[in-house]
Amino acid sequence: MLSIRQARLVLPLGILLVGLLFIVSLGVGDMPLGPGQIVRGLLRKDPLAATVVWQMRLPRVCVAMLVGSALAAAGMVMQAYFRNSLASPDLLGVSSGGAVGAVIAIASGLAALSLWSLPLFSLAGAFAATGAVLILAKRGASTERLLLAGVALNALLGAITAFVLSRYTGVFDRNSQILFWLMGGLEDRMWMHVLIAAPIPLAAVALLPLRRQIDLLSLGEQEARSLGLDVRLLRRRLLVLSTCLTATATAVAGLIGFVGLVVPHILRLLVGPEHRRLLPLCLVFGGGFVLACDLVCHTSGGLRLGTVTAFVGGPFFLWLLRRHP
Amino acid sequence: MAAPQTSLKALELRGISVPGRLSEVTLSLERGVVAGLIGPNGSGKSTLLQAAAGLLAATGSVLWQNRPLETIPSLERGRCTAWVPQESHFEFGFPVRSVVAQGRYAHGDDSRGIEAAMEAMKLTSLAQRPVNRLSGGERHRVLLARALATAAPLQLWDEPLASLDVRHVLEVVSLARRLAAGGATVIMSLHDLRIANRLDIAVVILDGRIRALGPPREVLTPALLQAVFGVKAVTAPGMTLELP
Amino acid sequence: MRVVSQTVGTDELLLALASPEQVAALSELADNPEFSAVSREAAAYPRLPLHADAEAVLRFHPDIVLCADFSRAELQSQLRKSHVRLIVFDRYYTIEDAFANLRLLGKEIGAEAKADAVIADCRRRLAFLEQRLRGVRSAHVIAPSVYGPIPGADTTFQDLCDHAGAENLAATLGHLRGHSQPPAEQMLTWPVDYVVIGGHRTAASLDPLKALPPYAYMEVIKAGRAVLLKPYLLSCISFHRIEGYEMLAHALHPEAFR
Repeated sequence: MLSIRQARLVLPLGILLVGLLFIVSLGVGDMPLGPGQIVRGLLRKDPLAATVVWQMRLPRVCVAMLVGSALAAAGMVMQAYFRNSLASPDLLGVSSGGAVGAVIAIASGLAALSLWSLPLFSLAGAFAATGAVLILAKRGASTERLLLAGVALNALLGAITAFVLSRYTGVFDRNSQILFWLMGGLEDRMWMHVLIAAPIPLAAVALLPLRRQIDLLSLGEQEARSLGLDVRLLRRRLLVLSTCLTATATAVAGLIGFVGLVVPHILRLLVGPEHRRLLPLCLVFGGGFVLACDLVCHTSGGLRLGTVTAFVGGPFFLWLLRRHP
Repeated sequence: MAAPQTSLKALELRGISVPGRLSEVTLSLERGVVAGLIGPNGSGKSTLLQAAAGLLAATGSVLWQNRPLETIPSLERGRCTAWVPQESHFEFGFPVRSVVAQGRYAHGDDSRGIEAAMEAMKLTSLAQRPVNRLSGGERHRVLLARALATAAPLQLWDEPLASLDVRHVLEVVSLARRLAAGGATVIMSLHDLRIANRLDIAVVILDGRIRALGPPREVLTPALLQAVFGVKAVTAPGMTLELP
Repeated sequence: MRVVSQTVGTDELLLALASPEQVAALSELADNPEFSAVSREAAAYPRLPLHADAEAVLRFHPDIVLCADFSRAELQSQLRKSHVRLIVFDRYYTIEDAFANLRLLGKEIGAEAKADAVIADCRRRLAFLEQRLRGVRSAHVIAPSVYGPIPGADTTFQDLCDHAGAENLAATLGHLRGHSQPPAEQMLTWPVDYVVIGGHRTAASLDPLKALPPYAYMEVIKAGRAVLLKPYLLSCISFHRIEGYEMLAHALHPEAFR
């Protein structure tokens, strides 16, 4: 773990790094644009460059950062909520529910009729899944019950997705569209996707005043309650906020794993578990991580975002587990 | 003539029942008292402490300083009572000081009494150590220090002496006495009957029911010990341990 | 002689050559106008269920089963074991391949004369097209997609373009082969004359593209220059693709057919 002085540097360094990634990402795309052209595009002096930069690259980069922040923050919340540093945002079936919604939208052809169908169906699926978990686990559920309900629901939703896929294997178009979505990706993101992702910064802001309470919750529910924390209220808030974050991220970018697991975990190892520091770092580095992975997608000629995050996150995580028994 | 005063009970339990674990538990304790809760394993000691701390759904009523528990909002409860669990698994490596400081949450997260609490539990040198890297005994001391930091008038400690060596045991008992002298009420569950003998009140519980409550000399008779623990008590001259 | 057809391409072959009693069952997509050139005719015949296994095929007591090289290997193996005559079509890229398939099937079911007649008619139409399109400047086209990959070289769409006086910019400028993700930013600079879409109403087919980058910013979409083809024509591998050649050629070069 870093010393206190070093730990204080991590946030400004992170912001700087993400800023750099942002600029580099604006320069990457299949149309070769030099820095001068990009600037002219930003200033809307060159119509072609302006279209590329403002309508194609900027939305994609914004969505990447928002999605990364959301997943990292949601992962942090889940890890505190379940008092387990191996928890991830998809434990309670939010992403699986989003997947079912999206897959139904694509398979039924609705996604082709209106660009709003896919993300809205995905959102609906995600929230329905969380609602189902809560009902399955009943009122005042312990974390253990919630976890089990999440496991059951994830299995069920996976089966539904597989079923929808199997019905449509004859339809080449939709089949591959479903598969692409399930692997996550930021192609053709538009400002409407940024709009759909707008709840993310709102949810992040709503989490900020809860950091101290999350500290208490993460060390034990009963203990936290005896210290004066309204545990029930906090758990409800955390569940709503993390569901919003994960559902929105999934709706605009498909299934992307490992961000919510790896980013908060690594940051916690670096700067410690206090959420006052951890939350802003998760927001910044989560966004940066997805940006970096998206850059890899660009330069690798076709790897899906979910694949890259898994390729990077998986081995890194295994290495971490080896270092810290 | 002056009207009779209702005395202020630090803790009152009226007909507390938890299915399968506690049955019609009724007791009251005054302020400034150190009470030992004793009973065989599985008799309901932890459950009683949790119920008294308001952490369990139980029928019956719990009153703190004569106030019913339901009327006290969450945050204020943190100021009224401190509860130390029997075991605590710390998943995350918060520094010791940070954990002790959590005791001040109900006081607006100020820093009063944190250093004193850490010193009382001999944790000052461990202040920056991550709690998930401590030994069992050290973790216990952190829990106690956190409870001390709350400065709560009702202290409910579940087996606080379990993993402590003999010196630390005596120090904790002496600490409890100091708190009681300041007007607090400390209830601790314990197994060591020689220690229980030295506290103000003994509360004996068996199979979820209170068997006896009163000063240890009156309560911890050979007959009772035989009935509750199934052991024969023989008083014999022996070693008593004291702090220097 | 009873014949079961397991793919849409073979459905089209079978219905062109067989007499009604010879058709035991068609593929599950036979009556779907999005994919089948013979959807109306096919409605009269029984169809295989979705994901038909060997039993579902054998239920129709076929003497011959028609499938393609992309049919499941396990299915092919099971059918062979059951001693039906399995005909696997593995060449279906060019129009000549389509003719060869007609002749092949004609020989199997004793309809050689019919096969020759169909081929002769197709050749006549091809010759007519070729003659009319001689010297015509190729129109620049692409086949856009709402969800990503578009057809480049070595696709049925490329074949359509080759016979209709069209240049598929996805192949020539984008260097795409098969169905691939196009260079979305570069597409903005391509001089596309028409987009070719499968659909029935121009507005409905164009609307989704109007909101999607990069199509939303392409002049061709804004101006609404779209050629609509019946959906099945974009993926047709039988001789019916000639209908596609004709439709596309007429739409792109009306002046050549007056």
